[in-house]
Amino acid sequence: MNEIKIKSKNLNVYYGEKQALFDVNLDLNEKEVTALIGPSGCGKSTFIRCINRMNDVIDICKVSGNIEIDGVEINDKNLDVVSLRERVGMVFQKPNPFPKSIYDNISYGPKIHGKGETKSELDEIVENSLKKAALWEEVKDRLDEPGTGLSGGQQQRLCIARAISVNPEVILMDEPCSALDPIATAKIEELIDELKKTYTIVIVTHSMAQAVRVSQKTGFFHLGKLIEVGKTEKIFKNPDNKMTQDYITGRFG
Amino acid sequence: MSNEHTVKSYEEELRYLIDSVIKMGSLTESQLVDSMDAVIKVDKDSIDKIIKSDDEINKFRSKIDTQIMTLLVKRAPMAIDLRETISSLKISQDLERIGDLSKSNAKKVKPLPLDLPEELLGNLKRLGDLVIKQLNDVLDSYVNKNYDKAKEVWEKDEQVDDLTYIAMESVIDFLSKDKKNLDFSTHLIFATKNLERAGDHITNIAESICFLIKGEYLKGSRPKGKVIQQ
Repeated sequence: MNEIKIKSKNLNVYYGEKQALFDVNLDLNEKEVTALIGPSGCGKSTFIRCINRMNDVIDICKVSGNIEIDGVEINDKNLDVVSLRERVGMVFQKPNPFPKSIYDNISYGPKIHGKGETKSELDEIVENSLKKAALWEEVKDRLDEPGTGLSGGQQQRLCIARAISVNPEVILMDEPCSALDPIATAKIEELIDELKKTYTIVIVTHSMAQAVRVSQKTGFFHLGKLIEVGKTEKIFKNPDNKMTQDYITGRFG
Repeated sequence: MSNEHTVKSYEEELRYLIDSVIKMGSLTESQLVDSMDAVIKVDKDSIDKIIKSDDEINKFRSKIDTQIMTLLVKRAPMAIDLRETISSLKISQDLERIGDLSKSNAKKVKPLPLDLPEELLGNLKRLGDLVIKQLNDVLDSYVNKNYDKAKEVWEKDEQVDDLTYIAMESVIDFLSKDKKNLDFSTHLIFATKNLERAGDHITNIAESICFLIKGEYLKGSRPKGKVIQQ
């Protein structure tokens, strides 16, 4: 098993009076894919949004407990959130390219983070990012066309390319395939398999089959609590917790 | 199974699959009892009926295969449901093989003389009775999802091995007394061996049941009794 990259300890999250996460203790391994599953509203997205402090933008949100990346506490008020988000990229449910060219979509991040000072350096970053996102061959001749003109699956791969353009260490994916057709989904899953060699990936998914296909570790959340976490194969073949079994076999409720 | 599925038709499909395995098991057991009876009583009239019943068992096997494929495609079963589905596949394969062995034994009745010595058939009957009991017990453990009972069957196969040895020895003894016994003695040796192999399939079923219940295979190798050299 790989080393622990991200460690959450007694993590609690509140949206105003409502508590969304209860004492979540979860270790995420480096260069592995961890899938988070559970019914809607169970706290899985809230959890991943803690990893790059996206919850900071919600005024009523309060976080207590710890999240460490490489042993460093990220809830520290003095931590530079911009550099944290450079290290922890995110891909959302619905592809959301900027209303700019394919090239600009990728080069925007490196530019604001001060990477790629010359045109040729930026060209290289754009090409490498698109290649890593398995999109280069499909768009190399039309980099100046709008990113929004691509198909849904291509747009999502563009967003993945955009996330990796700043060379992050962690990629968070919040239901990245839920708006895609099966072929586009298959391409993203194949890509995740490739990306895990370089990055630590956390994916929130409602598809049990997808969790089995792409992840090495799976965590099951319910009503804000982490009910069970373990090797994906074990969780889907023989989970220890009855609630996990009831959820993955469709007996919930 | 504990709670019911949110999707009722999924629940029904799983129950239907389990029912099919139980029915196939019951048919296989009857066929084994009939074939044993035919051998011990040298009842040549029942051979055709036993051979025919094997067709029924094979039909069940095809039906269960189809049910499993549909379940896999439609439901992508997980955890206990996945283990239930995979175990049904494996158990039905073993039942079908037991059916083949019973049929093979029924066919061996044809060349047997009607005046076979008592002690020869006595040893074979003891073996047959034990194999029938083993099958009955393993099917019972499947119906009741009884791990301990399945494990007991698995361990008891040692006794099947021992009785096979004794039955074989008595046939070989009989054969050595008069070489003209060679023809039907060979048939009796094969019939004995078939019962021992049926016993092995029963232990496979016991293993599948243990895996179905606990999600892990029985550890170590099962106890072995005396075995005649092949």
